[in-house]
Amino acid sequence: MDIKNEILWRIYLVALLLILFAIGIFMKTAYIQVVEGKHWRAVADSLYIDYRPVIADRGNIFAEDGSFLATSLPTFKVSMDCKSTAMSDELFNQYVDTLAHCLSTLKDSPYTAGGYRRMLVEARKAGKRYVLIKDKVEYPELLRIQGFPLFKFGRYKGGLIVERQSERRRPFQILAHRTIGYVRENVKPVGLEGAFNDQLAGEQGQRLMQRLPGGTWIPVNDLTEIEPENGKDIVTTLDINIQDVTENALYKAILRHNAEHGSAIVMEVATGKIKAIANIGKTEDGELWETYNYAIGESTEPGSTFKLAAIMALLEDGYVEPEDSIDINYGKMEFAGEEMVDASYHRLKSATVQHAFEISSNVGIANMVYRYYTRSDKEEQFIKRLKEFNLDQPIGIEIEGEGDPYIKEVGKDNWSMITLPWMATGYELKMTPLQILAFYNAVANDGKYMKPYLVNEIQEYGKTIEKFEPKVVKKTIASSNTIRKAQRMLTGVVERGTAKKIKADNYRMAGKTGTAIINYRKNLPAKFRKYQASFAGYFPAENPKYSCIVVINHPKQNGIYGGEVAAPVFREIADRCFVTHIDLQSPINAEAKPQLVAAKLPRIYSGYTDDLEESLLRLDLPVRSRTRADWASPRMIYGDSLELNRRQVNRGKVPDVRGMGLRDAMYLLGNEGLQVKAKGIGRVTTQSIKPGTTTRGQTVFLDLKL
Amino acid sequence: MSRRGQTTRETDWLTIFLYLGIVGIGFLMIYAVGYSEHPDVFDFSAKHGVQLRWIGISLVVGIFTLILDARFFRFFAYPIYGFSVLLLVAVLLFGVEIAGSRSWFNIPFLGRFQPAEFAKFGACLALAAFLSGFNVSLSKSMKQRLQAMAIILIPMGLILLQGDAGSALVFTALFIVLFRAGMPALLYMIGLIVVALSVIALLFEPLAILGILSLFFMLVFIGNFRERQLWWLLAFTGLVTMTYLGYQYDIMEYMLALDGTVLLLLAVLLSQRKRGKLVGLIMGILVMSTLYAFSVNYAFNNILESHQQDRLNVWLKPGEVDPLGAGYNLRQSKLAIGSGGLAGRGFLKGEITRLKYVPEQSTDFIFCTIGEEHGFIGSFVLIGLYISLILRITFVAERQREVFSRMYAYGVASILFFHFFINIGMTMGVMPIIGIPLPLVSYGGSSLLSFTILLAVLIKLDNTRLTRI
Repeated sequence: MDIKNEILWRIYLVALLLILFAIGIFMKTAYIQVVEGKHWRAVADSLYIDYRPVIADRGNIFAEDGSFLATSLPTFKVSMDCKSTAMSDELFNQYVDTLAHCLSTLKDSPYTAGGYRRMLVEARKAGKRYVLIKDKVEYPELLRIQGFPLFKFGRYKGGLIVERQSERRRPFQILAHRTIGYVRENVKPVGLEGAFNDQLAGEQGQRLMQRLPGGTWIPVNDLTEIEPENGKDIVTTLDINIQDVTENALYKAILRHNAEHGSAIVMEVATGKIKAIANIGKTEDGELWETYNYAIGESTEPGSTFKLAAIMALLEDGYVEPEDSIDINYGKMEFAGEEMVDASYHRLKSATVQHAFEISSNVGIANMVYRYYTRSDKEEQFIKRLKEFNLDQPIGIEIEGEGDPYIKEVGKDNWSMITLPWMATGYELKMTPLQILAFYNAVANDGKYMKPYLVNEIQEYGKTIEKFEPKVVKKTIASSNTIRKAQRMLTGVVERGTAKKIKADNYRMAGKTGTAIINYRKNLPAKFRKYQASFAGYFPAENPKYSCIVVINHPKQNGIYGGEVAAPVFREIADRCFVTHIDLQSPINAEAKPQLVAAKLPRIYSGYTDDLEESLLRLDLPVRSRTRADWASPRMIYGDSLELNRRQVNRGKVPDVRGMGLRDAMYLLGNEGLQVKAKGIGRVTTQSIKPGTTTRGQTVFLDLKL
Repeated sequence: MSRRGQTTRETDWLTIFLYLGIVGIGFLMIYAVGYSEHPDVFDFSAKHGVQLRWIGISLVVGIFTLILDARFFRFFAYPIYGFSVLLLVAVLLFGVEIAGSRSWFNIPFLGRFQPAEFAKFGACLALAAFLSGFNVSLSKSMKQRLQAMAIILIPMGLILLQGDAGSALVFTALFIVLFRAGMPALLYMIGLIVVALSVIALLFEPLAILGILSLFFMLVFIGNFRERQLWWLLAFTGLVTMTYLGYQYDIMEYMLALDGTVLLLLAVLLSQRKRGKLVGLIMGILVMSTLYAFSVNYAFNNILESHQQDRLNVWLKPGEVDPLGAGYNLRQSKLAIGSGGLAGRGFLKGEITRLKYVPEQSTDFIFCTIGEEHGFIGSFVLIGLYISLILRITFVAERQREVFSRMYAYGVASILFFHFFINIGMTMGVMPIIGIPLPLVSYGGSSLLSFTILLAVLIKLDNTRLTRI
């Protein structure tokens, strides 16, 4: 082989190999794209078409009477797939103008018809597959949009994308806010929303969705493959009226006393149903709001409201009777070297047990407990009584976060000689407002201790699927004798004692005030002390219907005592409950038939006859006779209907426009060639030129008033 | 005839147009990848914006190269090579490490620069200079063969040290230049056999290779018997069947032992018939091959890193790899290319591309974008452009008078071909996944610039081919 051939075959070999490799690559490309193309395309499509969850509608939370406390309002997000595969250019061009026009008629639409047209055309040109048309559309409007040109062809041909959303609304805003609670992402759920989340949430559904570049998912079609199962409804025990009153009264008191926070609970005596639960605290920027469920979660030293337990223990053990006289030593006494004083000054050396309770004498109650339990070495007996009153047990309310009650065991937890006397006055132990209330409720309920609860039933589409009945925790917490005496003492507190300010004429209340020092351990001078004012009780005293507790933390002005700060709130709640609840009233139909007073007819002034007739017709007000004149003034006849009288308008004379609206007045005066200067709003009350004066192009000044 | 006039007339415009066409397609593909996030063409924060800047730089450098005197490259071939080797050493010492390989310099204002790209140019020049030297003949001198190979292997070894096996492998393409320059074909045959043996060794267990070879050589032995060949063949067929059944029922070892025994028996019989030389050669090959198979296996398991093992497995045993693990890249890549079908989904409409379902899709897997958006037709056009460019360069090479220019042109064509074939092949599973860019198309400044310079120098050399340099 010569050199030339040697070189040539090398060149050919290289070229041949090159071409062979190239053909190989071609073959492979053709195989993957043409032969296997369909398979790969299908796999690719399945990559970004997937079943996605559809959120179920969350169930409602109702008050006992069926008012919505929290509800999910379905809204819709309407968007357009401007490049839907089934939407031909012809179809798009045919309808885009009318569609743009229709869109511009939507409520709060941001563009004019021309603007919408441009937006749609540009979106289609850019191949946009997810153009927002309108967010938060409500159902009636959605129906309208679905009927729009182009959109009426649906998802494929019309490009209409409808996504359902759900918005949680609380029609009553602050009312029981914390108790109703909320469920939010990454936040610990709160209140009933949290406690009954499983029932409220429902089950997610599924829908075929397509993923777009950028990661958004849009529905592929109009169907939902698996319908979500909507959440169940919760019917609470709350009474929206009582809740309103309670929240309101508490709110006012917190404002009036510039307090730190407060809570109030109203409970139905016979059942333990919580009818209202209000908590007012401060937000970070100092506004009053339901920030924390103090009524359930805040365990504090209750103070004098706890004296009821001490007295009942003494009565139950037969150590004292209400009529017994005890030493109260001018409100100052030492127990095991520790001095106790009464909160308010009095000059009594001794008093009956009843009176000592009514004036909330610390010394009196502590002295008895000290003498009969501590000194006679029967401390355990006292604690045993408290346990009989169920005071050591948490309520087990439905919602999270209940504070535990804390009652010391004898000999433990820094137990000392002074533990019992101080416990008798509501210190050295901790209770939540709800726990104290449950105890008072038991006293009101003749010793039967009911479990407080918040949820009446769970419903599905209006049908009850689970009902929660009142639950008796203890048939009786003390002998009926003791209970009766305790009830009498509580009535005495309102009649003659520390809460006599709230005594009412038309019904009787029973209860006990409490004024606890929160920061007594720091030994601060009086002016730096912080107090917790409270009042627990029930009404009406003879036949208790509701029990109620009000606790207000750290009031800073207008008084600090339970009788001054908390008791008035109690009274306000009781008043409103008493007035508004028919079963608390004696019937009034025994009296003479009441006289019905006719409602005042609306103020209707003079004006253009057709307008007047039209508006009267709309208001459903009967018009007995009408005038054929252009201008009219109405007059009441027979006391319950109207007639329209002719109003004379003469050419060349200044018309009487008094009583007319500005539009009519301007029209009439302008017709006569007069200049008008008007002041104020409403109807014309005075006009500067007398009616009937000849017109000469003068300026008329009008005063208008509502 | 003025020199200037000559320049315009003899310039190889076809190569330039092919170059510009491929670069243009590349830019559009990079734009398509990032289109969803950066729809503005002149968005310089986006990849396509950066690429646009690099295209500008490359064009300027290319034109500048064309202005330079052609003799410059010949006289400075070794210094340029030396400088590029120096850069490779420097990057080992001062470079930044990215994704496990220390092969980049950070250059202020320009971004990252990869000396390995520049080294391809240097190696091409040096190889051309060496082969065009006086009295150089690869077909005769063993020393010169080794020198030529050293020019290729020195940068290759340094790049391998950087941990960039893909770029290092590119230098093997330069052996095509040596072949053209007269390197004995036998060496290439042996090389091919070694490669084939390696692939077989990876595909099958070493013992299986022993079995296959035994049976093969058995056939050779049988061919050397003059009598009773039919009986021998029948016995052989029975043995093959038994071996196959043994493989099916997992008692391969016994069958292999049987095969070996039969082979040895035949060897003994044959040597008695004075065919000892043949027997010795064949048995020697058998032993060597088996040992080699074992060593390949050892190297695969102990020297290669796990991602390299994965890549070879994906290539050779696609059915056995986890499609969501090691096989993920290839699967996604095939998915994108395949879903393009015949006509593609349309420019800027590649769903997989835009959803970033393909890894490295503006660099190594850029071919997926054209495959998905423009289908087989688009792929055909792009591959056609490449083949045209490469064939054009070989044509240009053969018309050179100067050995330097011809060898240089072959170098350019070889490197371009290797990049093109491996890159497109790997996106479809024809080749193992080796992280090298698609020349002139993939996103990346160093690669674009170095290929531009390679081509510009070629055009300049071709341009002055009528004058002696």
